[in-house]
Amino acid sequence: MVATILGASRLASDVLQRRSTFRIGVTGLARAGKTALLSSLAANLLALSAGRPSLPAVSDRLRRRRPQVTIAPAAASGIPRFEVASHVAALAADPPQWPARTTAVSLLALDIDVPREGLFAPLAPQRRRLEFLDYPGEWLLDLPLLGQSFADWSEMALRRLETLNNSEIARAFLGFVRGLPLGAQADEALTLTGHRLYTDLLRRMRDEAGLAFLQPGRFLMPPPGAPPPWMEFFPLSSRSPLANLLQARFKAYVDAVRRDLMSPMFGDLDGLVVLADLLSALHQGEAAFADARSALAAAADALRWDRSWTDWLAAFARLKLPPRAINRVAFAATKADHIAARQRGNLAALMRRLTHVPDGSAKSATFAIASVRCTEDVVETLAGRPVSAVRGRIIGEPRPARFYPGEVPDGVPDDLFWQHRFLALPDFEPMRLPDAGRGGIPQLGIDALIAFLLTDFL
Amino acid sequence: MDTTPEPFLLLEPDTAPRLEAVTPILPAAEPLSRGWSPALIGAATLGLGIPTLWGTWLVGALFDRWNALGWAGLVVLLIGLSLIGLGIGRELRGLAALRRVDQFRDEFASGETDRVQRAARRWLERLPQHSEIVPALAAADTPESVLALLRSGPVQALRDATDVLGRTAALQSVAIVAATPSPAMDVLAVGWCGVRLIRQVAALHGMRPGMLGTLALLRKTALAAATVAAAEIAVNAATHAMVSHPLLRHLGGDVAGAGVAARRMIVLARAAAVACSPIVRG
Repeated sequence: MVATILGASRLASDVLQRRSTFRIGVTGLARAGKTALLSSLAANLLALSAGRPSLPAVSDRLRRRRPQVTIAPAAASGIPRFEVASHVAALAADPPQWPARTTAVSLLALDIDVPREGLFAPLAPQRRRLEFLDYPGEWLLDLPLLGQSFADWSEMALRRLETLNNSEIARAFLGFVRGLPLGAQADEALTLTGHRLYTDLLRRMRDEAGLAFLQPGRFLMPPPGAPPPWMEFFPLSSRSPLANLLQARFKAYVDAVRRDLMSPMFGDLDGLVVLADLLSALHQGEAAFADARSALAAAADALRWDRSWTDWLAAFARLKLPPRAINRVAFAATKADHIAARQRGNLAALMRRLTHVPDGSAKSATFAIASVRCTEDVVETLAGRPVSAVRGRIIGEPRPARFYPGEVPDGVPDDLFWQHRFLALPDFEPMRLPDAGRGGIPQLGIDALIAFLLTDFL
Repeated sequence: MDTTPEPFLLLEPDTAPRLEAVTPILPAAEPLSRGWSPALIGAATLGLGIPTLWGTWLVGALFDRWNALGWAGLVVLLIGLSLIGLGIGRELRGLAALRRVDQFRDEFASGETDRVQRAARRWLERLPQHSEIVPALAAADTPESVLALLRSGPVQALRDATDVLGRTAALQSVAIVAATPSPAMDVLAVGWCGVRLIRQVAALHGMRPGMLGTLALLRKTALAAATVAAAEIAVNAATHAMVSHPLLRHLGGDVAGAGVAARRMIVLARAAAVACSPIVRG
C-alpha cells in the first residue's frame, strides 16, 4: 500500500513539476571506500549528463535518453554536503591523491531530469532528486543490538574479548571489569572509567587488529552534537546496581538507534549499499576474516527486516506512516580492480555467501566493484604457466607493477585456503581521469550497481 | 598436487606513464534524417521559379514593345526579387537563431568550464543590456558557477520581463474578449494577441523571428508548454487577483472566457520564454 501511495505521490509530483526524492544510504565496514564510491557516482552521473559514456549500463537502462544532472543546492539541510569537486580534483591531480577518510555524516544530493520517451516525449522531463547519504558503517553494526538484551550483549562481547588473538589490547579493560566488586554501586566515576577503557579498546581493535565487528558503533562514530549521558556504558555481566545503571543506558541507546531508524533522514532510505573490503580481510588472516564475516552477516540479517504489525500500530498511534522498508540492498566487495577479471566473479560469489543473498533476488544483490579503477588486466607467465594478474603504478613508484594476490575463494574459505599466502593490497594510483574528471572516473561495476539501485527510480 | 600459483608483486624494469582508461564506445543512435522534403522543394521551385520566369518573359515582352518600358519592368522585377530575397534571408536568420538556442543548451550542458564560459559570452552578445555580468563570468571558474551567475542575472531579469509582457497581454486579452461582439472574433483576436506575445518574448531574448521563425517558435512553445504546467497553478491565483480589480471585474469579470484567456496569456509568455532560453530551469 505504501508503494502505491509513493507511486501516486511521484506521479502527482510529475504533474506538479515538483521533485520527488529518492534516497540511497551508502555504508560499509571501516575503510571500505565510501568516499571513493560517492565521488565516483557523482562524477560519472555528471559526465553522463554531459554526454560522456561513463555509465554504459545506466545509459542502456535509460534507452539512450540523456539525463540532466546537477548538484542540488544545499538548502537548509543540517547535514554537511559531500564535497564532490575537491575529491574529484584530488583524484585528477598529477600526482593523484586518494580522498581523505571521512569522519562525519555527509549528504550528496543530485537533481536529475530524465526526458520521457515515446508518446510522452514532448512532455516535461521526470524531475527527481537523488540523495546519497553517507551512513556510517559503524552505525550499521548497531542494528543487530535492536534484538538483544544487555545481558546477552555483555556476555557475547566479553567472551569475544577473552578469545581475541591479540589479548594485549584487551588486557586493561578486562582487568577493570574483572576487578569490579560483585555488588558495585552505580557510581558515575566507575561508569566513565569503564566506558573510556572500552571505547579505547574498540578503537585499538579497529586500528591495530583490523577488526570490523565493533559494537556499539556510535562509540566510534558519535552522532553530531554533545554526547548524551546514556552513551556512557560498557559490557558487564553481573547483577550489581552498576550493571542495572549500564542496562538502563544500553536500553536508552537501543531506543535511540530505533528512533534514528525511523527519523526522516536516516529512516527513509529507498536503497542501501553496503561496502566491504573482503580482499584486505583475506590478507589479514583467518581471525580478521571471521570478524568481517560476522559483521557482514549481522548487518545483512538486520537489514532483512520488514515492517511488522507493531510498527503499523506504533505509527498510527503517532498519526504517522510507518517507516519505509528499504527496497533494494546492494552488497559490494570493493577494490575489485586489484584482482584479474577471471577472479571478480569469485569475489562477488564470496560476498553472496557471506551475506546469504539468494540467487536471483530482486531486492538484494552482490557486486564486485572498483569505484576508482587503478589497474588493467594482464597475463604474466611464471615458470611457463600463464597467470591472470593486474598491472598498475603503485603510488610514489614510477615503474608499473604486476600483481597477483593469490586465489580468491568463491565461498567461505576452508582450512586449506589459510595455508597459502594472500598478499596485502598495494596502494595503486588511480588511472588518469578523462578531461580531469569531467569525463567521469574510470570504474568497474559501478554502472551495474547503480542501475540495480535505481531500477525503481528510472 | 597443489597447482595454485604463488602470489607475486613484480616491478617492471622500465618506468611508464600513468594508466589511461579506455573509453567505452556506445553504439551511436542513428541520426534522424533531416533531408529536405521533395514536396517542399517542388513547391518552393514552383513558387519562386514560375513568377521569376513569368517576370523575365514579361520584361522581355516589354523590351520588344518599347525599350523604356522594358527597363522600367526590369527595375520593378529586380526590386521585387531583392525584397523577397531579403525576406528569405531574414527568415533563415530567425530560424538559425532558434537553432542556436539548442546549440547553447548543449554547450551549457557540456560541463566544460571553457566551453560554458564561451557559450555564455556569445549568448550575452545577443543581450547587450545584461553585459554587466561579463567580468563576473570571467572570474567564475566552474560550469556550475557560470550557470548560477546567468540564472541569477539575465535569466531572472528575462523571466521578470516576460511576466510583465504576459500580464500586459493578459489585460489586453481581457479587454478584447469584453469588447468583441462574437465568440468567433474572440478566437481570432486572442490568437493574434498570443502570436504577438510570442514574438515579443522572442525579441526580449535577442531573436527577431520572421514568419517561418514564428511558426517554428510556436511549435517549440507548444512543446515547452508542458514544462510550465506547474506555473498554471500559481498563475490561477495571480490572474484571479488581477481580474478582481473593480474596473476589470466590471469590464471583463462577467464576460465568459475572459479569465481563461488572461491566464493563457501568462502561461503562454512563460512557455515562450522556456522555448527561447538556453538555460534550463534550475
